[in-house]
Amino acid sequence: MSRSVWKGPFVDGYLLKKAEKARGSTRNEIIKIWSRRSTILPQFVGLTFGVYNGNKFLPVSVTENMIGHKFGEFAPTRFFKAHSVADKKVEKTEGTGS
Amino acid sequence: MARIAGVNIPAAKPLHIALRYIYGIGPTNALEICERVGVTATKRVNQLTESEVLRIREDIDKNYKVEGDLRREVAMNIKRLMDLGCYRGLRHRKGLPVRGQRTHTNARTRKGKAKPIAGKKIATKK
Repeated sequence: MSRSVWKGPFVDGYLLKKAEKARGSTRNEIIKIWSRRSTILPQFVGLTFGVYNGNKFLPVSVTENMIGHKFGEFAPTRFFKAHSVADKKVEKTEGTGS
Repeated sequence: MARIAGVNIPAAKPLHIALRYIYGIGPTNALEICERVGVTATKRVNQLTESEVLRIREDIDKNYKVEGDLRREVAMNIKRLMDLGCYRGLRHRKGLPVRGQRTHTNARTRKGKAKPIAGKKIATKK
């Protein structure tokens, strides 16, 4: 169920301050944030955030399309390690041959 | 037989059922249309007059996004998610469930027919 409109979007307050500061400085540096739960607001567009995924800060450069999504959506917390299919087949045939 | 909203030719069924053959019109919308146009919902399609068919067609054109347009909109929404690089987009790209369902078992609708794991049978035999 979506969030009530009267509450407004959820954002951790300190992000606004951080974003403002980053806007002030001309250098485009990565703002490290832990707040994956915060909504991406229009005033964040154009900035680059380092969103923490529990391990690293993944760079997310915010574009207009991302408004309304949460920061966490852009920094996956799980990585799927697959066996490379081709390699495995080669191994298998070699194994049965010997 | 009546041709409404492009290619759809609903059969000799009651109107509110026949309208549901159009992509984008379900039970609720079908009844809404019947009411707005002023045709009894249970009237058979082959008993509709020309003007009734015309009014239905206009009503759908005016109030609903159906068939190709709707399909395109849905596809565009999905494409947007995929291009964005967000979690939902990644799930669409991989063809896995998007809304947090389990994938350990089930999820066959999204994943398709079960694929055998290469070499598993041999391993169990040994």
